[in-house]
Amino acid sequence: MESGLCDATLLQVKNVNKSFTLHNIDGRNIHVLHDINFVINAGEHVALAGTSGAGKSTLLRILFQTYSSTSGTILFKLSSGDWVDLTQLSDSEIVALRGREIGYVSQFLRAQPRRSVIDLVTRSGIARGMNNDSARELAQLTLEKLHIAQSLWEVHTSVLSGGEKQRVNIAAGLISPPRLLLLDEPISALDPENRALALELIQELSQSGVAVLAVFHDLDAIEQVSDRIIAMEHGRIVQEGPTKTLLPLLRKGYIDA
Amino acid sequence: MSSILVPDPVVRVQNLGKVYGPFDAATIDRTGSKIGTARDSTSGSIVAAWDVSFDVQPGEALGIVGESGSGKSTVLRCIAGDVSPTTGDIRLANVEDGKVNILDYDAAQRRRLRIDQLSVVYQDPAEGLALGITAGGNIADPLTAAGWRNYSAIRTRAMELLQRTDVPIDRMDDLVRTFSGGMRQRVQIARALANNPGVILLDEPTTGLDASVASGVLDLIRSLLEELNIAAIVVSHDFRVIEMLTERCLVMHHGRIVENTLTDQLLEDPQHPYSQKLIAAART
Repeated sequence: MESGLCDATLLQVKNVNKSFTLHNIDGRNIHVLHDINFVINAGEHVALAGTSGAGKSTLLRILFQTYSSTSGTILFKLSSGDWVDLTQLSDSEIVALRGREIGYVSQFLRAQPRRSVIDLVTRSGIARGMNNDSARELAQLTLEKLHIAQSLWEVHTSVLSGGEKQRVNIAAGLISPPRLLLLDEPISALDPENRALALELIQELSQSGVAVLAVFHDLDAIEQVSDRIIAMEHGRIVQEGPTKTLLPLLRKGYIDA
Repeated sequence: MSSILVPDPVVRVQNLGKVYGPFDAATIDRTGSKIGTARDSTSGSIVAAWDVSFDVQPGEALGIVGESGSGKSTVLRCIAGDVSPTTGDIRLANVEDGKVNILDYDAAQRRRLRIDQLSVVYQDPAEGLALGITAGGNIADPLTAAGWRNYSAIRTRAMELLQRTDVPIDRMDDLVRTFSGGMRQRVQIARALANNPGVILLDEPTTGLDASVASGVLDLIRSLLEELNIAAIVVSHDFRVIEMLTERCLVMHHGRIVENTLTDQLLEDPQHPYSQKLIAAART
């Protein structure tokens, strides 16, 4: 067995590289990720740290298959216990995995102009296999936990403020969570009070066995929710270790955050 | 091998091709994306679509994008039966359990499919509707073709469909000619859904509508697809339409599929040179 692997292992990323070939700019090739290797276990919260441009979001997008990887394997353990290589699946298989098995919460709410807040969150629950009534009930509960006033539940998401949109996005992303959740700066637009509420929900995920790989802008959030840190620089993993060991180094600037 | 559950497709299209004019293997070789033209300079024949294969699952919308002349509408019209393909194999799960190639059907059998299996929403409502007839009459048409005879049952069903597509019921007995573009499109959608088809084909469904009207129509289509578990094929040159409705899509160029991918991957990480050009143009 390789180091770090155990029965709880959910994701094994092996030698992943990513380059973009820009056919219309003299065929230029830009190599953005170099030999990425790591594993994540169920219930584990791993933070990706590094300056902008280090490749954190690129990595999350590759895991969600919004970007295709250029080489390497991404082994994911299905709820059935079978392992699949995400890079080898058909598009329809990826569509089927998204939602129930792998989720992605970005910084922004995807524009859906005429959908109400409660509808958006409820539909997310339904897409993840809940029935209508329990999805709606859970949607209400989640919105309450995130302090989205009931007066906003029936309004269209397009009229919400930036912070409200981000909280609705979190509610939709966290309801009936998939087994692996990828978070890309999900709390960047929130004030301290709302950020604390969102982080509480994110913490609960780990207790329920969800594996989380997250990018947070601030180190306090990383300290509060993550078990382990993977530090990246120029498209490479440069350090990896328990949060309590690595965070002091990040704070002191020994590793670029 | 893997235990990922992917529903059986409702539509399966294999090696669909449409050539205008005489052709042989060399004609095919002298056209396509790599050559940069759909017209064979030797014979003058046009290879409007060639080697087009894909499938669509229930509740899923598949997008086909490409510029004018790429062959995307030809593919849609071949499936609809408006154009006779030169070659290919099209199977529908709901038609004889997918055991027949519907391209082997005769004209009457093909017309029959259009009544309750395969509906089309055209860019131009004049193509899908009789403008000189009432909204109710336009919906009653496919219902009577499917064997509905009871007047009040037909009216009730028409009312139900107009309500679901947000057309004011008090306009039901007005001529479609008096309707706005957005409302005509809603009537077309209502008519397309009349007999609960398994597949709906959407050809530039919002092109030509104001942005706000278009987003209302898109939202309606999206809700209906989720609700009714229909498979849809959406042809559009507008990436907002494709982004809002589909999870997977094809890019066509000079009659060929050049990329078959996840919609978000096409938008964020297009692979083919032509797809990259198309996305770059849409972003500016």
